[in-house]
Amino acid sequence: MAPAADGDALARAARRRKAWWANGLVVALVGAWFATSPFIPAYILPSPVLVLQKFVLFVTTKTYFFHLATTLFHVFGALAISLSIGAMLALAAHYLHPVRLLIRGRIYPLLNSFSGIGWAVLAVIWFGQSDGAVFFAMACVLIPFIFINLHEGFESLDPELQEMGQSFTRSGLRRFRLIILPLLVPFGFAALRISFGVAWKSTLLAELFGANRGLGYVVNQSRQNYETEVILAVILWIIVIVFAGDRLFFKPVQERIQRHYGR
Amino acid sequence: MADKPANPGGRRAALIQRVIDEGGVVLAILGWWSISKTMPSFVLPGPSDVAVALWKLFSEPALVMNTVATTLRVIASVALALAGGLALALVARMIPDLEWVILRRLQPLLNSFPSIGWAILAVIWFDVSTFSVLFVQVVILLPFCLINLSAGLDEIDQEVVEMGRSFTRSSWRNLTKLYLPLLMPYLVAALRISYGVCWKLALVAELFGANSGLGYVMVRAQYTANNALVLATCVAIVLLFIAGEKLIIDPLARRFAGPRG
Repeated sequence: MAPAADGDALARAARRRKAWWANGLVVALVGAWFATSPFIPAYILPSPVLVLQKFVLFVTTKTYFFHLATTLFHVFGALAISLSIGAMLALAAHYLHPVRLLIRGRIYPLLNSFSGIGWAVLAVIWFGQSDGAVFFAMACVLIPFIFINLHEGFESLDPELQEMGQSFTRSGLRRFRLIILPLLVPFGFAALRISFGVAWKSTLLAELFGANRGLGYVVNQSRQNYETEVILAVILWIIVIVFAGDRLFFKPVQERIQRHYGR
Repeated sequence: MADKPANPGGRRAALIQRVIDEGGVVLAILGWWSISKTMPSFVLPGPSDVAVALWKLFSEPALVMNTVATTLRVIASVALALAGGLALALVARMIPDLEWVILRRLQPLLNSFPSIGWAILAVIWFDVSTFSVLFVQVVILLPFCLINLSAGLDEIDQEVVEMGRSFTRSSWRNLTKLYLPLLMPYLVAALRISYGVCWKLALVAELFGANSGLGYVMVRAQYTANNALVLATCVAIVLLFIAGEKLIIDPLARRFAGPRG
C-alpha cells in the first residue's frame, strides 16, 4: 500500500516539475520579449503590448473584424467545398472500379504534390481577386487531405459486416446509410480535424494573392507598411483559433466518436 | 451496385481501369490543349508552351542555377530538421523535466504557426538570404520530425533499453547501437513526410526570402504575366519531388523500414 502511494506522490511531483518548467519557460520567454523589445526597432520585434493591442482590435473595430469574419467565411466555405468534392472522389474511387486508378494514381498525387502557392497564383490569373479564387486555391490544397482519409476509411471497411448487411436488406441505399456511413464517421471526422488546421494556415496564402480582404490581405498590407505588430497579431489569432478549435471542439468530439463508433 | 467484389472481372477489369486511367490523362491534356488555343497565353498557356518553359528550367544555365539552388536548400533543410527533431525528441526523453516544454509548448506552437507568417518574419529578421529560406523551411518541418521521432521513442521497448544498459553504461554506445536502429523506421517516415512538405514549402519560403530559386523564378514570372513559366515551376517541383522519392527515399525505406524485430 505504502509504496504505491509513494509512487503516486512521486509521479505527481514529477508532473508538477514538468508543468513548472513548461510554464516557467513560457513566462521567461515572454519576459525576455518584454525586456528586449524597447531596444529593438518595432518593425523587427514589436513589444508584446503593441501586439496584444492589435490583437484586440480584430474584435473591437469594424474594419479589422470584417477581415477576420471574411477569413472565417473563406475557411468554412472552403472546408464545405473540399469535403463534398473529396467525398465524391473517395466514393467514386470505391464504387466505380474503372476510375479508381485514375483517381488514386493520377488525380490524388497531382493535387498532393502541387504547391499551394502555385494554385493561389493560378487562381488569381484565372478568377481575378475574388472569393472564388480563394475558394479554388484552398480547395485544391484541402481536397487531397479529405480524400486520402475517406479513402482509408473505405479501404478499412469490414467485408463481413457488409455481407451481414446484404443478408438483411437488398437496398444498397439502406446498407450505405445504416452500415457504411456510420463506419466512415471516424475517418470523416479525422479528415475534418486535419483540414481545419491546414485550412487556417493556407487561407493566409490564398488571401495574400487572391483577395482584397481577409487576414491574408491584412498581412500583405502590413508587410508592405512594416507593421510587424499587425502580422504577429494575425498569427496569434490563427494560433489561438486553431488551438482552441482543436482542443475545445475537435478533440472532445473525436473522443466521443471513437467511443461511439470505435472498434 | 455490388460492394467491391473481391476480384472484379479479373484481367478485363484491370485492362479497362488502365485504359480509363491513361485515357483520362490523355483526354485532360487534349482538353487543356484545345481550351488553351482559344485563350491568351497569359491566362492559360498550352501544354507545349509549358513543356518548353519546363525544359528551359533544366537546361538554360541562368534558370538551372535556380533549380539547383532550390534543390540544395530542400536537402539541407530536411537534414537540419531531422537532426533538430531528433535532438529535441531525445532531450524530451532523456530529461523528463523538459518533456512538457518541448512536447506541450514548443511543438503545438510550431505546429499551428502559419507558414506564410514565418516566411514574412524571416525576411524582416534575416533579410533576403539563403539563411532565411533555410530558417523558414526548418522551423516548419521541425514539428513533423519531432512528432514522428518522439512517437518512435515511445514505441521503444523498455526491456530492450534495460538490456542495453546491462551491456554498457556508455550512453553514446546505447544511442548508436540501440536507439538509432530501433528509430530507423520512424526516421524514414519523418524523412518522407518532411521531404514532401518541404518541396511544397520551397516556393513559399523563396517567395519573399530569396533572390534565387524556383520560388523567385515563379514570382518574377507572375509579375511579367509569364504564366507558362509559373506552371512550369510548379510542374518542375512535382517532377523533382517524384524523382527524389523514387531514387532516394523509396530505396532507403526498403532498406531500413522493414519489419521491426
